[in-house]
Amino acid sequence: MPGIDECLIEVMRLPGARGAAVVDWTSGLALGTIGESPNGDHEATAAETAEVARMAAEQPVFAQADAPGGPPGPPAPAVEDVIVTTAPGYHILRFVETAFDSSVFLHLWLDRAEGNLALARIRLGEIAERLVLA
Amino acid sequence: MSPTATTRPDLPEGAAPSPMLQRLAAERATGALMRDRGTLYLADGQVVHAESPATPGIDVLLTTGGALRSEGWWDAVAQAGAGQRVGRYLVDSGRVPGGALELCHLGALYDAAFFALAPTHTPARFRYGVSHWIGPVRPVPVHAVQRETLRRRELLNRIWPDALTDSAPLSPTSHPVDAPVPPRQRRVLTLVNGERTATDIAQELGRSAFHILVDLRRLAAAGLVEAARPATAGPASVSAHSRVTLPEVTADPDVALLRRLRDALEAL
Repeated sequence: MPGIDECLIEVMRLPGARGAAVVDWTSGLALGTIGESPNGDHEATAAETAEVARMAAEQPVFAQADAPGGPPGPPAPAVEDVIVTTAPGYHILRFVETAFDSSVFLHLWLDRAEGNLALARIRLGEIAERLVLA
Repeated sequence: MSPTATTRPDLPEGAAPSPMLQRLAAERATGALMRDRGTLYLADGQVVHAESPATPGIDVLLTTGGALRSEGWWDAVAQAGAGQRVGRYLVDSGRVPGGALELCHLGALYDAAFFALAPTHTPARFRYGVSHWIGPVRPVPVHAVQRETLRRRELLNRIWPDALTDSAPLSPTSHPVDAPVPPRQRRVLTLVNGERTATDIAQELGRSAFHILVDLRRLAAAGLVEAARPATAGPASVSAHSRVTLPEVTADPDVALLRRLRDALEAL
């Protein structure tokens, strides 16, 4: 998969997908967006979801148990994804693991009636991997 | 459906970090905008690259984390530097996946732009026709870069309103750690040694300098990091020429005292 845009187009092929974004959770910057956003403003949405992603990523309760004494280098993100359910939809925040230092996640907004959460979660994980692998 | 770059009206006149950049975008200029703390490269009025001495370059970001060996980087520069297509070459030769290069390059671009667009009294210069050897990766509209730069300034101020940790050499404080420090901040904290600045730490870790500023402001807010005091300026020189010593009234709150107060109040 060649890049951010191709990856976002693929995310939007999921049934019930309403909008998606690639976001940096340290700064809250949207690196790429597609479709709708819940409040009509992709940039504001990115800043808000980034806060949620950061909170999840930094909570010790979610940290890997084998963290001390692990291999040196940047610690692998302990959290794979965060799922928030609202009355009309699901939000899946999927962390992207890169070979360089980054704090990037994929955000998918899914319609609750049309979307399939289990399928979307698995596919989003695959897409997040392919975004940075090849 | 196709990906959409967020299109929003330009910033109001006067709010833009660089009015000159606004004009260059309007005339779809190509070249290099050199400012006090960094350079923005434009192609057809869009930002295609940015560099700043305050931030690690894309080569440092890619090689420090192990995404690319430094021989691979230099080979790409040798092969494609003259043709100004180093980014394309890295992807086509299979050294860096396309998505990873875009993420890394965008990170480096916004990072350097934040510093390049910092307020300055030095006039900017624009050299028409200059382009960068990294070549096209993922161009960004000028208004997006300007707005993001303003947003980042606000973000830093919301975390901790003192900008001293952004540029000064930093020291760890003796304040006890009363909440767990997240792993990424802990890695920053271990490099704080009384001499390193935010830029030094970013270079060492191969991380975006703005990310380091965010972590340092959080560490400063937690009372764990402060600007290192210059060793020479002692209080003796001050008292020598002051005949009447008045109690010092400072605008800076005593953070340690405030924290002890807060802890005591919470313990009630």
